[in-house]
Amino acid sequence: MSQRILVWDVPTRVFHWLFAISFAASWYISEADEWLSFHTFFGYLMLGLIGFRLIWGVVGGHYARFAEFMCSPLAGWRYLRQALSGAGARYIGHNPAGSQAVLLLLVLGLAVCLTGMFTQGAEEQQGAVSGWFGVKTGVMFREAHGYIAILMLVMVIGHLLGVAMESRLHKENLARAMVTGIKEAPQGSAVSKPFRGVGALLLMMAIAFGIWWFFYAWHEPVEQRLGHDDAKLEGPHVAFVGPKLSDNAQWREECGSCHLAFHPSLLPARSWQKLMAQQDRHFGTDLALDADVSAALLEFLVKNAAENSKREAAFKINRSIKPDVTPLRITETPYWVGKHREIADSVWRSAKVKSKANCAACHLDADAGTFEDAAMQLPR
Amino acid sequence: MFRIYTVIGLVSVAAMGLATQPAFAQTPNETLASFKTAAAGDAKFQGFSATRGEQFFKAKHGKEWSCASCHTDNPAAPGKHANSGKDIQPLAPSANAERFTDMAKVEKWFKRNCNDVLGRVCTAQEKGDVLSYLLTVKK
Repeated sequence: MSQRILVWDVPTRVFHWLFAISFAASWYISEADEWLSFHTFFGYLMLGLIGFRLIWGVVGGHYARFAEFMCSPLAGWRYLRQALSGAGARYIGHNPAGSQAVLLLLVLGLAVCLTGMFTQGAEEQQGAVSGWFGVKTGVMFREAHGYIAILMLVMVIGHLLGVAMESRLHKENLARAMVTGIKEAPQGSAVSKPFRGVGALLLMMAIAFGIWWFFYAWHEPVEQRLGHDDAKLEGPHVAFVGPKLSDNAQWREECGSCHLAFHPSLLPARSWQKLMAQQDRHFGTDLALDADVSAALLEFLVKNAAENSKREAAFKINRSIKPDVTPLRITETPYWVGKHREIADSVWRSAKVKSKANCAACHLDADAGTFEDAAMQLPR
Repeated sequence: MFRIYTVIGLVSVAAMGLATQPAFAQTPNETLASFKTAAAGDAKFQGFSATRGEQFFKAKHGKEWSCASCHTDNPAAPGKHANSGKDIQPLAPSANAERFTDMAKVEKWFKRNCNDVLGRVCTAQEKGDVLSYLLTVKK
């Protein structure tokens, strides 16, 4: 005799689907710089979810506890081979292969979240661990983040295949069971309590976090940087919060009258020295700066030049320039060229852009010099 | 008792209001006068002409740009740098009260831009003509 019983309690189901959504969404937008702050949101959400699941695995409903489904990887492997030959036994909770998938996904999820957090902290100098590491280390974190994410995707696909296979083998819909929580079980099997309150709390906390994130990472910085009625606000683009760069009124006044005041961190010190030494031939114009003004500008420029900056763009621009080359234009640097390779000619020629020196046409924060990945939008 | 605070409050607000008024070193007319002093040294000087200044402003002088290339034919309107596309605030004092109020800035820009447009420094006559023209431009 069998009966229909509650196997997956509400918090476990809420966790499962939020975890799945976080992974799918952050994977889907991972290549798009302008969605970075949403990618980051899903990362932090996933981290919180994993934290919850680790606790729930100890104090949660019967089938959600690690003690109930923990087994050796060998047992998981053995079960997988049995199931593949069509002979796997039916489990009410996680089967041994599934339990391996759960544990691995949790471990990989934790690793992917942490490496992501450290990538952002090091490369962008943003987030919970902002400034813990330099950009150089950030590049390593980013590579690790990418590989772990791929491993996780493989695991997810394996998990989905496993669910499909199990569902066929035992003629039951396991995916639906993760929605309703109900499965067939022999009389006398352990029944889970629903824990509706905990599940609702988990869901509400995730939603509240999403709302808070919207204001923190989107509304506030966009208003701060661009003001209320800026037409550029339309679209999904997000100006993520990063540290403010060094500023100087004289530099803004002298360098920002004829063109954007290009932040010193965008070229190495030797470039600024050469530019100031040739200020009488400044791209066709004699700047005719007084000696004391020149000296003050040069001091600010050199002090904040690329090699003295912690910013990602500064690091990557500087790294891309050969030591015996002294570029006078940011647009000559190999990093800049590589980064802008895919921009169509029509964009450069459009009335809103016209010049490659017109950074602000696409980079909403060009004036601040931050060039955040997310603060970018091709003009329409 | 409270009235004292009210008075102090009002006085400080008024003082702050006065303090935030832009304090310009001189008026554009005073700038014009100093060009006149400089030009008067030339025996042939017969005063400034806004018409001549307008022609000078809109004409090319052997190089690629005229003044109007960046400041446009209407100096009361915002301009755009001919190379970089950077926005330039209006040049005419009627549209931009800050213009021609700081002699150091005036000289810096005449020095740089005359060199861009004419390939030499401008004479006091030319500067005075142009400023006379700009002072006639209505918003």
